[in-house]
Amino acid sequence: MAASQPFKTAGLLKDLMAKYYEQGNLAREQGMPVVWVTAVSPVELVYAAGLFPYYPENFGALAAARKVADKISMAAETQGFFSDLCGYARCGLGDAYAQEHPVGKIVRPDLLFSCNTQCGSLQKWFETAARMYQAPYFLLDAPLIENTSTTLIKNYLIEQLQEAINFFEVATKTPFNFDRLAEVLDLANEACRLWNEILDMAAMKPAPFGFFDACFHMAPIVTWRGTKEAVMYYRELKKELEDRLSKKIYAVPDERFKVYWDHIPVWPKLRWFSDLFAEHGALVAVSQYTHSWAYQFDLDRPLESLAENYSEGFSNRGFEDRIQLKINFMKKYQVDGFALFSNRSCKPTAFGLYDKRNIISERTGLPGVVFEGDMSDLRYFSDEQVRNKFKIFFEQLT
Amino acid sequence: MTEHRIIKEDLCTRFKRIIAEPDLEIKRVQAENPAPVIGHLPTDVPEELIHASGAYPYGLVAYEGVWANRADAHLQTWACSLARCSFGMSLAGKLDYLSGLIIPHICDTTRMISGIWKQNRPYGFMENYELPRQVDRPSARSYLIGELERLKSSLELFMGRSIADEELNRSISLYNQSRSLLRKLYRLHEHRPDLITNLDVFNAIKSSMLIPKELHNLMVSDLIRAVEQEARENNSDDAACRVRVVLTGKVWEPPAVIEILDKSGVVCVADDLCTGYRYIANDVAESGDPLEALADRQLKRPPSPCFVNRKQDRLEYLVQKVKESNAAGVIFLHLKFCETENYDYPLLRDALFAANIPNIRIETEIGNVSQGQISTRIEAFVEMLGGEETYGS
Repeated sequence: MAASQPFKTAGLLKDLMAKYYEQGNLAREQGMPVVWVTAVSPVELVYAAGLFPYYPENFGALAAARKVADKISMAAETQGFFSDLCGYARCGLGDAYAQEHPVGKIVRPDLLFSCNTQCGSLQKWFETAARMYQAPYFLLDAPLIENTSTTLIKNYLIEQLQEAINFFEVATKTPFNFDRLAEVLDLANEACRLWNEILDMAAMKPAPFGFFDACFHMAPIVTWRGTKEAVMYYRELKKELEDRLSKKIYAVPDERFKVYWDHIPVWPKLRWFSDLFAEHGALVAVSQYTHSWAYQFDLDRPLESLAENYSEGFSNRGFEDRIQLKINFMKKYQVDGFALFSNRSCKPTAFGLYDKRNIISERTGLPGVVFEGDMSDLRYFSDEQVRNKFKIFFEQLT
Repeated sequence: MTEHRIIKEDLCTRFKRIIAEPDLEIKRVQAENPAPVIGHLPTDVPEELIHASGAYPYGLVAYEGVWANRADAHLQTWACSLARCSFGMSLAGKLDYLSGLIIPHICDTTRMISGIWKQNRPYGFMENYELPRQVDRPSARSYLIGELERLKSSLELFMGRSIADEELNRSISLYNQSRSLLRKLYRLHEHRPDLITNLDVFNAIKSSMLIPKELHNLMVSDLIRAVEQEARENNSDDAACRVRVVLTGKVWEPPAVIEILDKSGVVCVADDLCTGYRYIANDVAESGDPLEALADRQLKRPPSPCFVNRKQDRLEYLVQKVKESNAAGVIFLHLKFCETENYDYPLLRDALFAANIPNIRIETEIGNVSQGQISTRIEAFVEMLGGEETYGS
């Protein structure tokens, strides 16, 4: 987005996402149950079961990016879901009560499937929606991995994946097709591989692609993961980036610094931040957020592999692991500083950042900043305060 | 004043003092019989395991609100005051008599605070209790038994001794006795709120988390005896005049809220609070494998917003509870920033209204509460339920 020339694949992305939303609306008519799913959950099972996965988080992000999240949230807030709750959840729940639907109507679920590795908010949001829509709900429960994963946790996840398969079989009245799962996993592997190769291009100096671009192009890896569409899209994007490299088109034209960003973007301020960094010749090169979709599944042991991939990601890790993961990214991308986003909507990623900022600076010698805000709700964002915080940060980047 | 009444008032005062100065009693006990004190955050930590290991279990449930701000350098102010205050007290050195701390993972805040706590004020023994967050599928049980085994081994390592099944069974029996006594006290309170107030019964439950159960059980037994005697000697229709209310939420904080209920002519006849009836609602089977029995108790506890249970949904449970207990209304006692309660609230409220059950939501924060406003709202609610005509005149 920061690049002076728009991406050619942007048009393809638009078509792909339009197709996704259209399918969401058509699925039920075509006899395909709609399953609400969470971003970090084994959607591969849903695709393999022949169900349509719908991402309410994506709905929240879309509303946020179009700067209408607070408006839709208000419909939830008047019902008693207070503004302290996750902004995505307030949008997702609020739209069901709202009279106006500025980003289209949220698609009603026939089933709900959430995983709490990201947060307990998703667990509660989906449970609440299951009550509202009176639809069956399955929680894939992931106990926190504080150090190394244990057999206990892995077995718990595997047992639950078997229960999930049964949950889908009941809904589809069809035995689960493991051959189909293997195909889906294979496609997910390919899309994840391509996506991570693309993300890695941000380590080049200067780079053709950065975090804000990744935020723009990430929708298919979330929603279409496990399909041919995602693979096709990232092949095209990668080709375009290689072409841009040969033409010396870079994300930040006079890139002088690279910065690590933690975690999610401030969606309604994507352009604002992108410009702020570009003004200082800084490229936000990496974030653990966009790297969440870096799965590699072993087709010979599908359930074990799904259990490992989905429970061992950063969002299910303890304090020290999260620090180490951030530092690893900082080293790999050779950043000059880091920005930590204390996101009111996201306690799991925000809590602990005050200490982590000091610890990371001590261990790496890099300057860092923690700023307050909300990923979707501008009522919790002060342009001036954030700009002042970053002013000091940019002065430290030398 | 009769002898029974003196005994009763003395015991109720002692419970109150244990909560007001929670370190005094545990330090005294520890001086007599030295053993490590292992703290636990609410809720649902299997204290029986701590007890069987030879340590003193100690619930972090007695709050001094002034210390909440101590946490601000490490934890955002939009974390709930329960977490901020407990952690703040620890940072301020108010819990230095602890040798260990077990944090149950029941929400995002508890999941995240364990690492922050360990970083800034570690005790010799720091453990998480990673409860299954779904409780209605078979996988929850097999996992929970494994988690209890893990916690047991970790305690054994810290205490330098193994826990035999017989020892754990003895602890289970002691804790069952405590729960059974407290349930009896709760029912006595329901019938004779003039003799044992809302605050008395909640103080009795909370103080049981702060001192050894052996000692507490004796006190509760004496209290029950004294109240029963007093009840025999002195008839009263006070209970009939009071408005019967169900409390729902996490904790009854700050305690002033319960004092307001006492003054407003309310008798709390049921609740699902972690420092209330949820703590004593069900027992652990005393036969069979003790860890399996502990797991089964956990999975059968009354519904909580922290655990998904589609087979026994909290909505139906709460409506049913109100009907069973013949209550006139429900008071939601919510801590600001408690997400799990807030997600449940609108639909719970609507389900109650749909069943013609009046209800009110009171939001509180530990260390920061306008008692006047809460008092006015509760009085108005009680008045609406018809309480003022019959009570308090």
